[in-house]
Amino acid sequence: MADTGAIQSTVRSGAQWLVAALEAEGIDTLFGYPGGAIMPVYDALVDSKLRHILVRHEQGAALAADGYARVSGRIGVCLATSGPGATNLLTGIANAYLDSVPMLAITGQVASGLMGTDAFQEVDIFGMSLPVVKHSFIVRRAEDVAATVHQACAIARSGRPGPVLIDLPKDIALARAAARATQPHPARVPLAPNAAALAAAHALLTHSERPLLYVGGGVGMARAEAALRAFAATTGIPSVCTLKGLGAIDPDAPGHLGMLGMHGSPAANHAVQSCDLLLVVGARFDDRATGKLDTFAPGARVVHIDVDAAEIGKLRSAQIALAGSMPLALAALAQPLPIAPWRKHCAALRALYANRYDAPGTDIYAPALLRDLSLAAGDQAIVSCDVGQHQMWVAQHWHIHSPHAHLTSGGLGAMGYGLPAALGAQLAQPGSCVICVTGDGSIMMNIQELATARRYGIPVKIVLLDNACLGMVRQWQELFFEERYSEVDLSDNPDFVALAQAFGIEAFGIDTRAQVSGAIRRLLDARGPILCHVRIDPRANVWPLVPPGKSNGEMMDSAA
Amino acid sequence: MIQRLHVTLLDVEGALQRLLGTAERRGFHVLQLRAEVGAGAVCTVMLTLEGTRDAELLRRQLERLHEVREVSLAAG
Ligand SMILES: Cc1ncc(C[n+]2csc(CCOP(=O)(O)OP(=O)(O)O)c2C)c(N)n1
Ligand SMILES: [Mg+2]
Repeated sequence: MADTGAIQSTVRSGAQWLVAALEAEGIDTLFGYPGGAIMPVYDALVDSKLRHILVRHEQGAALAADGYARVSGRIGVCLATSGPGATNLLTGIANAYLDSVPMLAITGQVASGLMGTDAFQEVDIFGMSLPVVKHSFIVRRAEDVAATVHQACAIARSGRPGPVLIDLPKDIALARAAARATQPHPARVPLAPNAAALAAAHALLTHSERPLLYVGGGVGMARAEAALRAFAATTGIPSVCTLKGLGAIDPDAPGHLGMLGMHGSPAANHAVQSCDLLLVVGARFDDRATGKLDTFAPGARVVHIDVDAAEIGKLRSAQIALAGSMPLALAALAQPLPIAPWRKHCAALRALYANRYDAPGTDIYAPALLRDLSLAAGDQAIVSCDVGQHQMWVAQHWHIHSPHAHLTSGGLGAMGYGLPAALGAQLAQPGSCVICVTGDGSIMMNIQELATARRYGIPVKIVLLDNACLGMVRQWQELFFEERYSEVDLSDNPDFVALAQAFGIEAFGIDTRAQVSGAIRRLLDARGPILCHVRIDPRANVWPLVPPGKSNGEMMDSAA
Repeated sequence: MIQRLHVTLLDVEGALQRLLGTAERRGFHVLQLRAEVGAGAVCTVMLTLEGTRDAELLRRQLERLHEVREVSLAAG
């Protein structure tokens, strides 16, 4: 435990120690919801400078903390009471776990003596969350509270980041204890990868004729975008990225082929299938990215760079494992490579499969709307999306210039993510333009957070793509379940404009293509929170698509 | 395939749950477990597991648990 030793001990309650330690960590914002077991902490907050954002559902707290963390690169903190408060946090904790987001989740717990007696609002949140936390603590003594907070923060942000849970029994929060003030732990810097492995990777690179970068979310989490871009520029190696890797490479870089995988670009998927060396950087061979794994990049050797050694070789064995610091590995491997014919081939793929926006008709074409909105909002804008077809359209058509400007529930795919994450992002960067792209299904999962936007005047811009159905599920039923539609109809949706207005949020709707540019202007000019309801064709599908269980080389581009 | 693992970990709250949970979730069946807490709150565990997945990968997955100090693998 880090402690200063020389400082005199002070007497405080466990809850006060908690708040003091959070302040010492430099945390400025908490997202939470009070209740019985966490009341001592809420009492301590009265005397603190920490800004507490009262959400309207604990899931919103965890997801807002996630958005806050992704944008700021700092730990997101959420707070809930025991029992239902704690279980409501779980989806957000799992989301942070699967997307490697640094998070501290603090739950109140029933008093120590009642734990294990099925007391009122007692659940074993420590046990329930074990599979989805990086680590967790139950604090058993008030004098340990501050040191536990510092240890938890250090674990959450070190190496591969992730969520850490602290469960704080009520009696411990109330107990007064003398302890010395502790300090945040110094950041642990990942080590350089093994020199022999680097030399071997170097040799493979030199002999490769068709090397390809496969870029994942680990790059953004390691804040290694600059190192990656420098590496790509020096070597000239073309790149593809995962959903979470979007933005790590400049989308306009000539060698960048876009997203690979199920809804990836054909250029990216074809390049992967024909490369002879796959340089994997902070990616993990997720099934949505690889398609049928044993046909993925069939002719490629693999060099895998990751800060987490347990990711290397998990699903595809690597000829060379480079565990440790990503920037150091990339810097060590950077050298110009004689791969002009391959670069030319990839540039031709990029041109051949460039997105088209000339869909016929007067209905609003969501991909074109998203492309136009992203260009109008500018490179600095942050987009937060929900889960479904609209999420894939954002990934395909939004011009994403930084991984920290694209918030998406990649690993968990949790509907309901978009709005709370956007609120967290906007609070982390008050001056930024934050746009939430959501669906008519997803927004209803955390609709209550409109009240949070209203209460704090958080000026997020919500674009609600309403296809009157659970579009992504409908698309799968159409294509893979013989059009046997089952429980996907949402044609009785509420009047979303009236609903937003009832929350005190400015709102308007559009349903023809001619209205799109005016709507974009109105959204971008708005000073407070605003919602634009966009009616789109329920039959629209996301193309292209790699059918489940198929190789990435077998993409469909229509239902025919 | 039967695998034997020798694990040294700190005897902190939840340590055994985390260890066993990780092994089971990652696709292994626990056949035998012997655990003993010794000096300095260090716990040594002998685990016999059955599974078809790569045990070396499991070794690394266990090694990244915060309380785990060392994991070694002996086939058989
Ligand atoms: C919490 C949760 N429940 C269910 C799903 C399964 N699911 C994935 S996409 C989707 C449809 C989403 O509908 P909507 O938000 O309207 O987006 P659309 O696909 O129509 O753009 C569903 C139900 C999920 N991802 N998350
Ligand atoms: Mg929908």
